[in-house]
Amino acid sequence: MIEETLERWEPVIGLEVHTHLATKSKLFSPAPVEYGDAPNHRVHVIDLGLPGVLPVLNERVVELAIRLGIAVHAEVNLRSVFARKNYFYPDLPKGYQISQYEDPVVSNGWLDIELPGDDGQLETRRIGITRAHLEEDAGKSIHDDAVTKGRGTHVDLNRSGVPLLEIVSEPDLRSASEAGAYLRALRSILRTIGVSEADMEKGQFRCDANVSLRAIGTEPFGTRTELKNLNSFRYVEAAIEAEIERQGEILDEGGSIVQATMAFDPDTQTTRVLRTKENADDYRYFPDPDLIPLLIPADEVERVRREMPELPDAKLARFVGDFGLGQADARQFTESQELAEYFDRVVARTGAERAKEVAKWILRDLLQALKQLDLSLEASALTPDKLAALLELVEKGRLTPRNARDLFALLVEHGGDPESLMVERGLEAVSDEGALEVAVQEAIDANPKAAESYRAGDQKSLNFLMGQVMKKTQGKADAGTTRKLLAAKLGG
Amino acid sequence: MSLPALTLALQAAQLSSRELSSCDLLDAVLGAHAGRGDEANAVVGLRAEAARAEAVEADERLTRGEPLSRIDGIPVLIKDNMVQRGEETTCASRILEGFVSPYDSAAVTCLREAGAVIVGRSNMDEFAMGSSTENSIHGPSRNPWDLERSPGGSSGGAAASVASGLVAGALGSDTGGSIRQPAAFCGVVGMKPTYGRVSRWGLVAFASSLDQIGPLARTAEDAAILLGILAGHDPRDSTSLAEPVPDYCSALDGDVRGLRIGIPKEFFEAEGADPVVLEVVREAIAELERAGAKTLAVTLPHTPYAIAAYYLIATAEASSNLARYDGARYGHRSKKARTLSEMYTLSRSEGFGTEVKRRILLGTYVLSAGYYDAYYRKAQQVRTLLRSDFEKAFEVCDVIATPTSPEVAFRIGEKSDDPLKMYLSDIYTVSANLAGIPGISIPAGFAHELPVGLQVLGRSLDEATLLRAADTFQRRTDHHAQTPRGWLR
Repeated sequence: MIEETLERWEPVIGLEVHTHLATKSKLFSPAPVEYGDAPNHRVHVIDLGLPGVLPVLNERVVELAIRLGIAVHAEVNLRSVFARKNYFYPDLPKGYQISQYEDPVVSNGWLDIELPGDDGQLETRRIGITRAHLEEDAGKSIHDDAVTKGRGTHVDLNRSGVPLLEIVSEPDLRSASEAGAYLRALRSILRTIGVSEADMEKGQFRCDANVSLRAIGTEPFGTRTELKNLNSFRYVEAAIEAEIERQGEILDEGGSIVQATMAFDPDTQTTRVLRTKENADDYRYFPDPDLIPLLIPADEVERVRREMPELPDAKLARFVGDFGLGQADARQFTESQELAEYFDRVVARTGAERAKEVAKWILRDLLQALKQLDLSLEASALTPDKLAALLELVEKGRLTPRNARDLFALLVEHGGDPESLMVERGLEAVSDEGALEVAVQEAIDANPKAAESYRAGDQKSLNFLMGQVMKKTQGKADAGTTRKLLAAKLGG
Repeated sequence: MSLPALTLALQAAQLSSRELSSCDLLDAVLGAHAGRGDEANAVVGLRAEAARAEAVEADERLTRGEPLSRIDGIPVLIKDNMVQRGEETTCASRILEGFVSPYDSAAVTCLREAGAVIVGRSNMDEFAMGSSTENSIHGPSRNPWDLERSPGGSSGGAAASVASGLVAGALGSDTGGSIRQPAAFCGVVGMKPTYGRVSRWGLVAFASSLDQIGPLARTAEDAAILLGILAGHDPRDSTSLAEPVPDYCSALDGDVRGLRIGIPKEFFEAEGADPVVLEVVREAIAELERAGAKTLAVTLPHTPYAIAAYYLIATAEASSNLARYDGARYGHRSKKARTLSEMYTLSRSEGFGTEVKRRILLGTYVLSAGYYDAYYRKAQQVRTLLRSDFEKAFEVCDVIATPTSPEVAFRIGEKSDDPLKMYLSDIYTVSANLAGIPGISIPAGFAHELPVGLQVLGRSLDEATLLRAADTFQRRTDHHAQTPRGWLR
C-alpha cells in the first residue's frame, strides 16, 4: 500500500496545467470561443488550416499572460517567440500546434500552498513555477460510437485554436495532496485575476503530472513518467497515488522505471503505459515564420501591475489581519472572487469592527438561503447595501437578531427595502419600557418557579424568562431593555 | 502587333480612350490560347466564362468613365498557388485534387478591387518547388523561345505566358528566385518585392519566411503598375510591413545619373557560370554606366553559403507547411487507406511528387532532435550574416547588379535527374530571399539566341530605385521588345 511505499520512497511531482484563457475569440483567428455549440460551428478558415491561411495573434491574450506572470511572482519576458510543434493528428488541422518553446512569455515564478502538517497546523510550502507559455488548443476527436454510429472518428474543430496558457511547475511537489493543493491555489489565482474560468468540467483546466520516486534521503531524481489528461481534481490525486504505488512496487522488486506516458483508469484506480520514450514523437520545434516575436513594452507590464486585482494571498492576509476573520472563513472568501467582493462591499458600509458578524451572515445564512432557493449570489435580491442596512437596524436595536433572520429570508427571496419591510411586517423591536413592562410582569406571573430560582441565584432562569417575554412579543422585545426590566422586577 | 502583345500601359491607354474594350482584350487572350498558347502549357485553369462577365462589367465602368484603377478591364493571370474563392487551386499537385477555396487571397482581392480580369491560373512547379516548371501534375511548361527548353520556375507558366504575348501581366511568387529566374529565361521583367511588401494571405505557403508575391510583365513600367496594386499592409499577414506605398510609376524618370551600382565579385566568379551570359550582363551594366550610373566593386563574402542555407531553411519550413495535406479534410485521400496511419502515408505518398517528397524529407531531417543546431540554427546564423553583407554593401552603393541565372534556359529533362545541379541554378537569386531585400530581373540581351536576365537588387523597401534603373535601361535598349519567333507579336 502507499503508506509502505512512502516509508522508503519520496515522490517527486511536477505539474503541467493547461488553462483556457478568458477571451472572446481564438488565439490566432477571429472565430468566437464558445462552449457547447454544435460541432464545427465556431471555426474560421484559419482554424481549418486551409491552404494559404495565416495566424494573427489575438492581442488580448498578452495582458492575460502578463497578469499570470505578475500573480505568480514570475518574470514577464519582454520578448517571446511562437514556435511550431509538429505532429500528425486528425484534430490538428495544420499538422502543427503553435506554441512557445525556447522563449516562453513567463518564466521563473512561484506560488505558496498551505497544507496541514503532522501536528495539524497549516504549513506553507513554496512551489516553483518554471514557465508559462501561450499556445493554441487542438480540436476534439470523437471516437464514441454513439456519436459516430460506428463510422470512423469524427472531428470537432470548435476548440481548435482556443487560447491556452500552459503553466509548468518545478518538480517541487512531494505528495498527491500537495499536487491537489497546488492546483486549487493556481485555479483560485487564475479566477481572481480574470485570466481563466478554469472550469475542469468544461475542459478549460487540464493537468498532466510528472511523477518519479527517489529513495528517501537521496538527492538525484528517479526516472519519471507522465500522467496525461487528468480531468478532475479527484483524478489528479488518485492517479498520482496509483502511479506512486506502481513505481514503488517496481522499485521494491529491484526493477527500474521506464520513461513513459501513462493514462489513469478511474474504474480500476490504476495507471497504464500509453507509450514509451522510444516511441515518443519528435516534435521538431522551430520558430513559426508566420509570426513575429511577441514584444511586450516594459510600461505595459507596469500598467497591468497597477491594475491587477487583489490576489488570493493578499486578500487572505487582509481578511485575517484587518477584519479579524478566522483562517477558514477568510479562505472561503478568497476562493470565490464574487463572494469576496460581496463581503467587501458590506463591510465597507458596516465598518471593519463588524466584519466577523458580516462574515457569519454571508457564509452561514446567505449561502444557506441561496442554496435552498437555488439562486446564485448575483441573482439574489439581497444586495450588499441591503444586507448592510439590515445589520444597521440590528445595531441600532430596531431589530432583534431573531427577527433579523426572518426579515433576511424575505429580503433574499423577494427583495425590498429592509426598513420599510420591517415596519410593514411589524417586526420592529420594542424597547419602550412601558410597552414591555406588561409582558415582563406576565412572564414572571406565569412562571413563579423560574422567578423563584432566579431569586435563589440561578442566572439561567433569567434567560428562560427572557425567552418567555420574546414569545409574548413575537420576538420584538429588545433584549437589553427586557433584561433590565426583569432584573428590576425580580429585585436582582 | 496583336492585342495582347501590347504592354499593360498601352492596353490601359487604349481602354481609357475606348479604342479597345476589355472584351476585345479577353477575346484576344482566348484566341491566342486556342492558337499556340497550349504549346507552352503555361495556363492550367482558364476561366473563360467568369472572365467574360468580369470584362463586361469592366467595360461598363470604363464607358461610364469610372475605372477602378489603371488596370481596370485588363486580363491577367495568377499563379496556381494563390487561392480564389469558388475556384480550384492545385499548386500543380495531386494532393490538392478537387480543392476549391472558400476565400480569396489578398493578391486576388487587390486585382479584383482594381478591376483586373483574372483569365486563369498559370502553371508552376509543384508547391513552387523547382526551377523548371517540370514538376507539375499538369505537365511541364515550355519556353516560347524554344519549346524544347524550360521556361524556368517555379513561376514558369507566368513567365511563358507573358513572353508569348498571351497576357501583358501575371503574378508569380518567389521563394528563391521563382519569379526572377523564369523572367530571365523567358526574356521578361520579373520582380520580387521586399519581404512583407505584398500580403501572403491566401498564398499557399512553401517557405513562409522567404515567399513573396510579385509581378511579371514585359516592361519595368508594367511591373511598377502591378506592384502598386499589390503592395501594402495587410493585418491578416503578421509579417506584412506597415510602411506607406510610394507611387512607383512616378519614380520612372529615366534618370540614373549618380546611381551607385555595386558589382559583387562573388557573383561573377561563381563556378560553372556561362561566360557568354556573364558577358551579356557586363555589357548591360555598361549600358547603365553610359546612362550616368557609377559602378564599384562590393563584396558579399557569405554568398558561397547561401544555397546551402537556403535549402535548409526552405525545406525545414516546407516540411511543416505541407503537413496539413494529410487527406483528412480536403484534397487527395488514398482509397487504399484502412487506418489512420495509412490515410496519412498513402495519401501523401500518392499525392506529392518526387521533388516535394525530397524536400519534405530534407526539411524533416534538419529539424529533427539532434540535428537542429547543426543545420537549421546554423542556416539561420548564415542568413543573419548574409543580411549584414548586404547592409554593409548598401552603405557604399544604391543597388547591386548581377546575372539572374548562371546560364540561359536549359533543356527540359536536362537537370531533372540531378537535383543538386538544379538547386545550383538558384545561386544568384536565393540571397535576396534570405536577406528579405527586393530584386528585379530584366531582359539584358541574348546568349546562344536565348534571353539573358540582369538582376538588380536593392535596399529593403527601395523597389522604386530598382524600377527606375530597370525602366532607364529599357528606354535605352530593345531587348524586352524582342519576341520569340512564331508567337503572336
